[in-house]
Amino acid sequence: MITSIAWKNVWRNKTRSLTVIAAVTVGVFAGVFSMAAINSSIVQRIDAAVNEELSHIQVNNKEFRSSGDLLDYISGPGAVISRLEQTEGVTDVTGRVIVRGMASTSAGSSAVEITGINIEKELGMFTLSRRLIPGTGSYFGADTRLNSVFIGEKLARELNIIRYILTPESFQKLTAESVPASVTEKLKEIEGVRFTTEKKLTKALTGILQAKEMKSYGLTIKEAAWSYREGSKIILNFLDVSGNQTGAAFRISGIYRTNNDLYEALSVFVPEAELRELTGLNEGQYHRIIAKLADNDLTGSVTPVIRESLPGLEVLSWKEIQTDLAMITDYINQIYGVFMAIILAGLAFGIVNTMLMSVLERTRELGMLSAIGMNRRRIFVMIMLESIFLSIVGGLAGMTVSAVVIGITGKTGINLVKYAEGMEAFGYSANLYPTIGADFFIILTVMIVITGILSAIYPARKALQLNPVEALRGE
Amino acid sequence: MKVVEINDVCKTYHDTEVEVKAVDGVTLSFEKGDFAVIVGPSGSGKTTLLNLIGGLDHPTAGEIIVAGHRLSELKPSQLIDFRMEHVGFVFQSYNLIPVLTAAENVEFIMNLQRWPKEKRKARTDEMLQSVGLSDRHKSRPSQLSGGQQQRVAVARALAPRPEFILADEPTANLDTKSAETLLDIMEKLNREEQMTFIFSTHDVRVMKRARRVITLEDGKVVSDIRTNHNS
Ligand SMILES: Nc1ncnc2c1ncn2[C@@H]1O[C@H](COP(=O)(O)OP(=O)(O)OP(=O)(O)O)[C@@H](O)[C@H]1O
Ligand SMILES: [Mg+2]
Repeated sequence: MITSIAWKNVWRNKTRSLTVIAAVTVGVFAGVFSMAAINSSIVQRIDAAVNEELSHIQVNNKEFRSSGDLLDYISGPGAVISRLEQTEGVTDVTGRVIVRGMASTSAGSSAVEITGINIEKELGMFTLSRRLIPGTGSYFGADTRLNSVFIGEKLARELNIIRYILTPESFQKLTAESVPASVTEKLKEIEGVRFTTEKKLTKALTGILQAKEMKSYGLTIKEAAWSYREGSKIILNFLDVSGNQTGAAFRISGIYRTNNDLYEALSVFVPEAELRELTGLNEGQYHRIIAKLADNDLTGSVTPVIRESLPGLEVLSWKEIQTDLAMITDYINQIYGVFMAIILAGLAFGIVNTMLMSVLERTRELGMLSAIGMNRRRIFVMIMLESIFLSIVGGLAGMTVSAVVIGITGKTGINLVKYAEGMEAFGYSANLYPTIGADFFIILTVMIVITGILSAIYPARKALQLNPVEALRGE
Repeated sequence: MKVVEINDVCKTYHDTEVEVKAVDGVTLSFEKGDFAVIVGPSGSGKTTLLNLIGGLDHPTAGEIIVAGHRLSELKPSQLIDFRMEHVGFVFQSYNLIPVLTAAENVEFIMNLQRWPKEKRKARTDEMLQSVGLSDRHKSRPSQLSGGQQQRVAVARALAPRPEFILADEPTANLDTKSAETLLDIMEKLNREEQMTFIFSTHDVRVMKRARRVITLEDGKVVSDIRTNHNS
């Protein structure tokens, strides 16, 4: 009965209750949504780290990571692989041959890490193949006339494999993208000119276009001018098992683009067999064996199990390799805490204020209730319930709105092109897909209820201080 | 049988510089089935006396015994339960819980007393019938006239069968017709349920109906007259 009276009391002053509920809704939504947006970039980054770069767990020869020596491979790799495959939670295992060397073209050279991979296996384990830039070839396509290599866009730029030329096709593209003729007219001036870097093109463009035109069409023009000659070659040089310089020309099979410039500049992939032939490494000799887990959350528990079962080898989880990412995750959790505290404090003030008003307004009624025998506990509970209902309704409304908006933007994404360069330099995508865990929702709901209860105490005590005689007398 | 015994009770207020003796040495008792009215000029102490009898306030001196309970011996929380169990209140206004229907208001105290549902419903129907509002079960207080609201308040006070009903100027805000109806109902319930009524009033219509008229002046009882007219 008291519950139903409390619920009805909440709706006595509809405007006021709805105002508080709206405020709580907006507050909860703002908090949850911004957290989801921040969380989005972290989740994407972790996803990329795990599915494109590192996998969940890697096993190395103890010396290999510091020495980079070709001879520091894992001894008894067969046993290691089967041990990993038998570990609970592990879904896929593959070995990698890793060689440090130089990549060069006539236009430049760059230090790289050449990874020899089992293409079929990695295709199933990693999503890097999906990062292929359309029009740049394939992820190790059928044509194997020559050694082939899969490289990152950043490296391709450094080696001047990519350049910018406005060709007749580029102009067609621009027209298709509805760039106005006034702009394309001006661009005719640099038609056919070859720019080796994006910077040089930007400089040329700023020379002939107005700032406004540049802002609206700069990106589109750069996309259209981007060019790459399919089948370009690069030379990879490294040492073989006897310490002699070796190397070969590799045809670029495809170019990938990730959000991580550093990774793009450093990591090149070649078929394992080609690397073995050139270095003289035997079949089955691997520098690194990597394992994927059924779920990222298992990383923390499975890693120590594997570490114990493989003494003498270095066993690392992605968290231990990408310590910065693990740290950011921690840091984000702290920001969550602060956000949560701010949302809840706002909620508490709103509720205390509203409930105090409502109690003082009902002095006579509360006096009457006490006079006819409603005891202190019941009055206290009634006011508490009113506050809790207010906060729960507001909280639930806020979370519903958040869930819906996050659900939609999580699919469509929020584009932050403006900050793209800055973010991608650190491996974060400029496209946000807000996402948040169910656990966060549950925790927040519980916290909102607790806040509702805590902020109800003061108004409820105020209600108990009323003296029924005075309450009834006061005209 | 004595329902209420008041022995040499005083109530003094100090809150201004002057000391006000709102009730000054009152000794009275009420019998089961009384239909008594307390009259007197404004400020003579009627409300104060009723509050003392109902356990809403404490006397500065003297003793009040209600249904065998010495009120001075009860702790504040026990006093609330005492009121719930033994006293029915009807105030001048603000009697009803605005968010509840007439029937829910009548049920309210029985609910606090944890009556079983069927008994509660039956008694509510019976009471709304006696106050002539059996067709207004579902009406909210705001949808009822002042007189109807007072009738619901009487029904609520009576429903759990308290020891007696205290009513402080129950007709003060009512027009003549509504006041007469309310008095008819109270008289009827006094007869049918043997319910003791103690109320205060300025209203001559009420005084005429009472079988006992107690007059207060400056907190003292100046007359206590039993008229034996039966209506
Ligand atoms: N809380 C209080 N503080 C101080 N004085 C009070 C208080 N309550 C009542 N009084 C005083 O006590 C006296 C009796 O008041 P009471 O309300 O009992 O009179 P009453 O007979 O009910 O008057 P009325 O007919 O106007 O309702 C008055 O002089 C009043 O001013
Ligand atoms: Mg009075």
